[in-house]
Amino acid sequence: MKCRYPQVLLLCCALHTAVAGVAQDDMMDFFDEVDEQARPVTAVFKSQRLINVHTCETPGKGEMNFVIAHRFGRISDGAYALWGLDNASMRMAFEYGLSDRVMLSVGRSTFEKTFEGGVKVRALEQMEGGRPFGLTFYSVTMANGLRWADPERENYFSSRLSFAHQAILTRKFDDKLSVLVVPSLIHRNLVDVPGRAHDVATLGGGFRYKISNRTTVNAEYHYLLPRPIQDEWHNSLSLGIDIETGGHVFQLHVTNSRGMFERSFLTETPDRWQDGELYFGFNLNRVFQVGDRR
Amino acid sequence: MKHILLLLAFLPSAIFAQQFVTREGNVHFLSETPMEDIEATSSEASVILDLETGRVAVQVPILSFHFEKALMEEHFNENYMESGTYPKAKFTGTLRDFGGLPESGAVEVMVDGSFEVHGVSVDRPFNGTLERKGDEVMLICRFDVRTEDHEIPIPAVVRDNIAEVIAVDIKATLVAR
Repeated sequence: MKCRYPQVLLLCCALHTAVAGVAQDDMMDFFDEVDEQARPVTAVFKSQRLINVHTCETPGKGEMNFVIAHRFGRISDGAYALWGLDNASMRMAFEYGLSDRVMLSVGRSTFEKTFEGGVKVRALEQMEGGRPFGLTFYSVTMANGLRWADPERENYFSSRLSFAHQAILTRKFDDKLSVLVVPSLIHRNLVDVPGRAHDVATLGGGFRYKISNRTTVNAEYHYLLPRPIQDEWHNSLSLGIDIETGGHVFQLHVTNSRGMFERSFLTETPDRWQDGELYFGFNLNRVFQVGDRR
Repeated sequence: MKHILLLLAFLPSAIFAQQFVTREGNVHFLSETPMEDIEATSSEASVILDLETGRVAVQVPILSFHFEKALMEEHFNENYMESGTYPKAKFTGTLRDFGGLPESGAVEVMVDGSFEVHGVSVDRPFNGTLERKGDEVMLICRFDVRTEDHEIPIPAVVRDNIAEVIAVDIKATLVAR
């Protein structure tokens, strides 16, 4: 059959060539079309704790993080006490990742022979190109293990207990800078002087800044909200560095809080930076994979 | 006649549907040392292969690699690959002396191209096989990557635990785009 539309055929041919040409150049557009799978922002902080306060980090599923922490005596004690090193207060803890977002922890401090049991839940994760912040909750029950001051009178176990609840807001601004804001509520079943507040709130903030892939500088500050509990308690300020070596994270710091559990460092910090009453200390974190990751 | 014209008008897409793609390619790598073996897998490799031009391109998000231990994954991204700065491993290349793919049977192919990891590109050849299976094209490729070539520093303390040469496996099933 004789073609009645030769020009149309020509057009088709031209079209073929054009499409073929475009197809070549357009090959790389395949990578632009991807709806990048939304991923949570990871490694916001190097460790479960910034210095004293909990971060959004939890151990991965099946991971056991073993923490050994020391706070030495006052640096101002001078050469006689080797600037505090003669006198160490210790805390150890096991933190287990029930899932990638839920952590259970048990701890024990020499200070007031305190036991702790805590739960941390990463409720919301900061997402790449999505949610700009993360929200993590941490709740801990602390039990004073000291013998009763007066065993003769009627003592209740509940008197030993105190509780802390925290909402940990975190944001990783870039590879280097991560910031957290932590409002905390602390409840003490028993207060040392009748009439003092059982509930105390603090507002804390802190950041980490990476100075190399394996080193960060950290700072945190906790402000006792103006509902005076006792005049002698002060706001907690800590400065530190993290050094990561393989399966360990070493955290070295200087702080005016000697206690390492929430009630103590948030609401019972007796010392002040301006008086030079500081403590040198470290947290040592060692991670073991004990459970199945999947 | 009209039908033929119609057919012709649509032919471009039919004739040139020579691009085969996937977004779920598997990439596995292994670092083998006497101290420990470290391996990771991603199933999020994007691959595009143009059987007409012989061009091929691959991209893998670094964050999509998963390890046996969560801590390994964190170190991989934070300390070695710096995935925040260099989020993807990329390859673009051209099949060498490629004369088309037979209807059945695997063919050995060589690809020359540019391979970028950790922000550092290396021009190098790769060996692989392509095989048409029905409507799909199977791609298999194994190669070694020297960490040094991509300026991925490995500190002395973990030198015994991380191999200098990492063995990579790619397996992908591509479908017509």
